[in-house]
Amino acid sequence: MTAVIEETPSAPAAKPARDHTPVVITLRIRRYLPDLVGPNGEPAVPFWQDFQVEADPTERILTAMHKIKGEQDGSLTFRRSCAHGICGSDAMRINGRNRLACKTLVKDLDVTKPITIEAIKGLEVEKDLVVDMDPFFQSFKDVMPFLITSGNEPTRERLQSPEDRERFDDTTKCILCACCTTSCPVFWTDGQYFGPAAIVNAHRFIFDSRDEGAEQRLEILNEKEGVWRCRTTFNCTDACPRGIEVTKAIQEVKRALIFRRV
Amino acid sequence: MSEVERHSYDVVVIGAGGAGLRAAIEARSQGMRTAVVCKSLFGKAHTVMAEGGIAASMGNVNSNDNWQVHFRDTMRGGKFLNYWRMAELHAQEAPDRVWELETWGALFDRTGDGRISQRNFGGHEYPRLAHVGDRTGLELIRTLQQKIVALQQEDEQEFGDPEARLKVFQEATVTRLLTVPDSGSEDGARITGAFGYWRESGRFVVFEAPAVVLATGGIGKSFKVTSNSWEYTGDGQALALLAGASLINMEFVQFHPTGMVWPPSVKGILVTESVRGDGGVLRNSEGKRFMFDYIPDVFKEKYAKSEEEGDRWYTDPDNNRRPPELLPRDEVARAINAEVKEGRGTPHGGVYLDVSSRLPADVIRRKLPSMHHQFKELADVDITAEPMEVGPTCHYVMGGIEVDPDTAATPGVLGLYAAGEVAGGMHGSNRLGGNSLSDLLVFGRRAGLYAAEYVTELGDARRDVDQGQIDEAAAEAVAPFANEGAENPYSVHQELQQTMNDLVGIIRREGEMAEALTRLEELKARAAKAGVEGHRQYNPGWHLALDLRNMLLVSECIAKAALEREESRGGHTREDHPGMSADWRKVVLACALAADDGHIDLVRRSPEPMRADLLALFDRDELKKYLTDAELPAEEEGSD
Repeated sequence: MTAVIEETPSAPAAKPARDHTPVVITLRIRRYLPDLVGPNGEPAVPFWQDFQVEADPTERILTAMHKIKGEQDGSLTFRRSCAHGICGSDAMRINGRNRLACKTLVKDLDVTKPITIEAIKGLEVEKDLVVDMDPFFQSFKDVMPFLITSGNEPTRERLQSPEDRERFDDTTKCILCACCTTSCPVFWTDGQYFGPAAIVNAHRFIFDSRDEGAEQRLEILNEKEGVWRCRTTFNCTDACPRGIEVTKAIQEVKRALIFRRV
Repeated sequence: MSEVERHSYDVVVIGAGGAGLRAAIEARSQGMRTAVVCKSLFGKAHTVMAEGGIAASMGNVNSNDNWQVHFRDTMRGGKFLNYWRMAELHAQEAPDRVWELETWGALFDRTGDGRISQRNFGGHEYPRLAHVGDRTGLELIRTLQQKIVALQQEDEQEFGDPEARLKVFQEATVTRLLTVPDSGSEDGARITGAFGYWRESGRFVVFEAPAVVLATGGIGKSFKVTSNSWEYTGDGQALALLAGASLINMEFVQFHPTGMVWPPSVKGILVTESVRGDGGVLRNSEGKRFMFDYIPDVFKEKYAKSEEEGDRWYTDPDNNRRPPELLPRDEVARAINAEVKEGRGTPHGGVYLDVSSRLPADVIRRKLPSMHHQFKELADVDITAEPMEVGPTCHYVMGGIEVDPDTAATPGVLGLYAAGEVAGGMHGSNRLGGNSLSDLLVFGRRAGLYAAEYVTELGDARRDVDQGQIDEAAAEAVAPFANEGAENPYSVHQELQQTMNDLVGIIRREGEMAEALTRLEELKARAAKAGVEGHRQYNPGWHLALDLRNMLLVSECIAKAALEREESRGGHTREDHPGMSADWRKVVLACALAADDGHIDLVRRSPEPMRADLLALFDRDELKKYLTDAELPAEEEGSD
């Protein structure tokens, strides 16, 4: 493996006192306003815009962005929904790394410099931080992300041992935020690549003991734009806000393809 | 005026949470051409935040459980104000809906013998909540989303078009239901469709359909401290009111007892009840487990008297009673409120929820992985090492659109159905944890089923949409652009949230609610002048300006009903009327839009008396706590 993974130091035993002294931070946001056409009808161009906001160090970037929207510029546009890191709406590129704005704390960033915020890469920007997610969801649909079984449906539940259930636990945590797929250099240059998220969602069924569609899914992922395009850079694992071992899941699919055994 | 984009469907479902998706799947399975319209991206619904589980009396962990016990718990939790028929259907059908979800592929934690595992939860007599760690809502939504993808791929094979019978219109907001007067009744209306706009382009869109299912969720964004997501602006409630339907029980708002109160940016974020179900306890600033002082008489027999007994319950539930930390949510929320008020709160106005001193760190990480992550990542708090500071947060509205219990149809508006949080009645004055996800599935399915039945019976007798209504809806929607700079919609929203939090919050007083109604009037006038800049493309300021109408209407309903109900029950606590009154149990407050001036009128309704066989599930002594003497069943002969 050639990837460089940032090591997170383990937390010190003694709990440090939290600092709640407000700081002024600069958010340098990549804006794109498609209706901002030039005087002769030239298409709108993206630009950087700085905003200064006062923030508690434990505050999230999403909160700072809400302040900008409410108090400074009502046109600032981004997706958000639950603000708990579960719906996966507010993926963005913060200081060059894909993260959820609702799970990125001010204190974890260097506030002495402007914090850059851009739309996730590889998908077309519609406005500011909002991208067209259709190609992403199309890849998700293409791996047949649903349980495939034969025979009669049971009247109660299918049985599944705790061990079998545990086998694919990790990949069921996916929130379809696109952090992994849009951090993948292969996806940036080849928009037809299924991308990590679709493979994760295929993995979720391939390794589900109740499912009988593994062969079909493996064939789909065996194609040109399937798992073999993955170059194991670990960007996806690094980017996943749910801590899913994305690269490992992709490797497990590759192995299943080689040995034809799940 | 340029031609508006139009789509024609049999059934249009508004909202894509658990209820909406289940309704859409059902309508499509009944052969209807079905559309789902949702404000967010498909799959990002508020339902994903439900952590605890789905309540269903499958009896996998304790075989004593059955639908009757579930029904009884639900009625007790709702303080007997529930529409008992809804509670009955819900308890009866929840197991089938969970099993169905499993056969559709949902992941569940399992028992040793491979069945769906069930966990304890507040107010439920037996372990009843089917769950996946603490991400059950996410799995529910994902499974329904996957089912829809599967159905669409079937349609692709059959018709060459995956969206031939079921299409999701995402990031679109509906601002008006379209109706025509119903010739069959004097003041009723009949659904012809819905009007809305694309959030991306700001362009208008009309859905023509004889049946609409509202499944838009709740109202939490009208309150300052809330666990609800941005979508919860009372859209469905307001759409129903404006179409002529009624809202019932709007005074009952559930404040989840354990929202984060510190640090400030995560204020309101929820700590799932399973933290308590798995051993977490509540302590005040003196370190005391104060909940033992707050067990109300109606629950005295059901809860542990000592810490020792409560602690034994976790491992031996058959021979011990549960700890009072697991009382229904309204009781716990009130107790926390009282402790804080009496000066025994934490520095930031909450109490301590302590799991770190009760369970080893690795057990906490295994049993509550999402909670552990959430606190670490959203707030830099390590729940294995320190207690959380928690307090009540606006979580759920029990009230909602009045529906027929069996069919989910709204009386007064033909072709309109409602399911999930947007509908009222099921949970009475207080909802039990876990009863929400099951509610979504049971009544989502029913709404889809009966909407399909209605459309089938209607045959060719569909009515056209009224062009005049479309023009009016369009004019209403663009109005904020004419008010440029007059009022900032964000300021109006913030003041609304502050008003509701301070004056119509967890503890209510007559004078404060009257004051709230005065302020709501002022805010209404200001909201009418709310101006926005820029264009219609993805304009969040404009979206909020339009949402304000809904939030203000719903807030007025809550404040009016809360002022009217002079008793305390479930999610409605009056400091000036602290007792629960059997006479008030016979009153359901219904809100409707006054014909002339756009204000809310209150009407008192009498709920239907409970069927005798259901009444017989309760001891007469227990019924005395809820019912008037005249309502009590006759005493059995020979009983003591």
